[in-house]
Amino acid sequence: MNYLCTRLLVGAAFAVMSFGTPAAFAETPANQLVIATSLAQVLSLDPHQATEAKANEIMANLYDRLVSTDGSGKISPQLAERWEIDDKGITFHLRKAEFASGNPVTSADVVYSITRLLKLDQAAAANLKRVGYNGGNVEKLVTAPDEKTVRIDLSGEVTSELLLYRLAMVIASVVDSKELKSHVVNDDWGNAWLRTNSAGSGPFTLNKWTPNEIVILDASKNYVAGPPKMRRVVVRHVPESQVERLMLERGDIDVASALTATDLATFTGKQGYEIQRVPTGGFYVLSMNAGKEPLSNPKVREAIAYGIDYKGMEKAIMGPYGRARTVPVPENFEFAIPSPDWKLDVAKAKALLAEAGYKDGFTLNLKTIAQTPRIDLATAIQASLSQIGVKINIMQGNGADIIAAHRARDFDLLIPQTGAYMPNVLGAMEQFSSNPDNSLKANNAGNFVWRSSWDIPELTAITAKAALEPDAKKRGALYVQMQEMFVAQKPAVLPLFERYEPIVLTSRVQGYVGHPSQTTRLEGVTKTEK
Amino acid sequence: MKELSLGELGRRLLHLIVSLFILLCVTFVIGRVMPTDPVGAIVGELADPKAYEAMRVRLGLDLPLYQQFFVYVWGLLHGDMGTAILTGNAVTKDLSQAFPATLELATLAVLISTLIGVPLGLAAGLFRDSAIDKFARVFALVGHSIPVFWFGIVGLVIFYAGLNLVGGPGRVDVFYEGLIEPTTGLMLVDSLLEGETEIFWNALSHIILPACILAYMAMAYITRMTRAFTLEQLNQDYVIAARAKGVGPVRTVISHVLPNIAVQLITVLAISYGNLLEGAVVTEIVFSWPGIGQYMTNALVIGDMNAILAATIIVGFIFMFLNFVADIAYALLDPRTREAAR
Repeated sequence: MNYLCTRLLVGAAFAVMSFGTPAAFAETPANQLVIATSLAQVLSLDPHQATEAKANEIMANLYDRLVSTDGSGKISPQLAERWEIDDKGITFHLRKAEFASGNPVTSADVVYSITRLLKLDQAAAANLKRVGYNGGNVEKLVTAPDEKTVRIDLSGEVTSELLLYRLAMVIASVVDSKELKSHVVNDDWGNAWLRTNSAGSGPFTLNKWTPNEIVILDASKNYVAGPPKMRRVVVRHVPESQVERLMLERGDIDVASALTATDLATFTGKQGYEIQRVPTGGFYVLSMNAGKEPLSNPKVREAIAYGIDYKGMEKAIMGPYGRARTVPVPENFEFAIPSPDWKLDVAKAKALLAEAGYKDGFTLNLKTIAQTPRIDLATAIQASLSQIGVKINIMQGNGADIIAAHRARDFDLLIPQTGAYMPNVLGAMEQFSSNPDNSLKANNAGNFVWRSSWDIPELTAITAKAALEPDAKKRGALYVQMQEMFVAQKPAVLPLFERYEPIVLTSRVQGYVGHPSQTTRLEGVTKTEK
Repeated sequence: MKELSLGELGRRLLHLIVSLFILLCVTFVIGRVMPTDPVGAIVGELADPKAYEAMRVRLGLDLPLYQQFFVYVWGLLHGDMGTAILTGNAVTKDLSQAFPATLELATLAVLISTLIGVPLGLAAGLFRDSAIDKFARVFALVGHSIPVFWFGIVGLVIFYAGLNLVGGPGRVDVFYEGLIEPTTGLMLVDSLLEGETEIFWNALSHIILPACILAYMAMAYITRMTRAFTLEQLNQDYVIAARAKGVGPVRTVISHVLPNIAVQLITVLAISYGNLLEGAVVTEIVFSWPGIGQYMTNALVIGDMNAILAATIIVGFIFMFLNFVADIAYALLDPRTREAAR
């Protein structure tokens, strides 16, 4: 008992002292950038495996790709200083660069990286496999004529221009093959090691990643443009929006993402802070299961499109998160068509339902991830559709549950979200307009449209045609045709809102420009003293 | 006497093991029949079915349930709890990182709550219906009924954002991150071991608020129970006799009541400690505390069954172990059981 008492007293003494002792509080150091976000979805930092947006943001700073896209969506050089396009493929000329290990970046590393991506065959590989590159043909199509030259032949299922966009994605990151080969265990291509380490030529190296806690990046001394100004970048997992807000107000973090609309609003016009609304090219979508009655009827789907109060929801819920848009191509993209006339029109929606033979309405289940803003969207859709006689039961779940239901076509309505993999019509829209085989047997669960059982052979064909059209003008015409056809077919994957990722920065941070493909590079970021 | 208590010890140990096994079975079955999609979480939402199936086979999820169970138990007996999807690490390694964070927080919380809760409960019992009793009752009621989430946020607003008295979420300030090599995993201890007093104070400023909030929750229970135990003892003849002989109230409590309620109190403290060690999920999320509660929540979200199973077993084990210890303490401290054994 005495021993216990002593321990209790010591504990109490500590407690008292901590209140009495002013802890060394300081704003974030001027040579460190501190970002707060949710790291819950980050499962790997191997660029040939992970595809999650937050992981991409981190990996984009650890690795270089051959090319990248700038903020306006144009292809710009990264490891390749220039390239030549011919009928058969692209020849890249590498600039002089070094990996963080000190090894020079050679064409062998590029070939190894693309081969690794395709042979590892994880979700990341899907982006090249979709256009005809795979583990079987990669050695033939991707070659290194000399140490500084890389040749990528076309697979026959993609144009050079669109291939460049795919190579600008984080999945095509170039890894240090010499370093990585020393970490291979059981033919895993070094995956077990690279998940939690880095071997790139980007501006930063991975110092530490503790899942759901913290990611620390250190400036790379060997970076081609010299070490970045920020000696260290700390990405901290702060799952709770209100807490993130407090930390930002206190100056303990420099950049806050994943704030709720309410918390975000407190920084509007506030001195010392800047709100950036980073476009994603993606959408919040209402997926309808066209495989069963009544949603198999296009009239019913159109009635639902007329039964949603887009403007009201944009104002009340979406705020900085999104803008009403019912064509799956962001309005500012070249060849984007205006949204159709779908707006809340109760009389018209009811008339359409009556025409379809559902005068008295019906009941549907709506599944959604219990997450802002999707859960709020679900509630608003429920309220909105009740006006036209469609009763909605909301079923919330976690990510794994909802995605599993989506993949298994086990839903009536569901609210997924998308992102554009390249900043053009095809990059944003392909996932809405391509479904090569709608049969249950095809089990093409990776395909968004297949999950909704929406059979669209014509639209699929024209999408494929657009992807292979080398002439820019003709391709533009096909893009417009795709969008018009999409609207005319009363989509079972109805885009509701164009998706933005709002972030708040303190005004100490200079040169941070949120990238629309979630590949914001931090090499140019600087910070002022307090 | 020795044989008897050894036998008793063995019986209780057997109880512990059987309970753990039942817990294991139940968790395993619930985990495997739950409609989550761990495979999807790994291969990504857009992966094609072939890659998906390959991963399913790699995880052993294509095997019949009983076989999966057998494989799991076999691994467990060899100290292998499988690999966590979330981190790719052995679950045991993850837990060895997450658990100390929770342990540190829970231990500090239970110390604070005992230090305040027990004296408060004693005083409330001793001076029944006085101002101090009323205060203790309201104090305990508030602690019991206000959601910890609200407490956490309000605590941060006042003490962190407003008064600048404590550190924010996380275990230390960012510029101290990664400077301390984990020896015990307890930040306060490790920083002292390395002689980094500055980091020690910083870590203390970070832990104190969540610890106090957790302590308050636990204190509510401890205070009420101590008060009830005290009242019960005060009505006993021996206390009345002592008071009649002229023993003062403070001495009555210290020399007579306290030793008699110690046994029951230990059970209460053990339960509180067990509850805290389960990982205060909400507190850990509000304070970005990388403990076992947050680890389990994240594992649940992506359906990471190995991590959930292992964490459940560890938590279950701790709870049962603390109960076991409390039982033993009970037997050792209670003069009646001691006498009976003799």
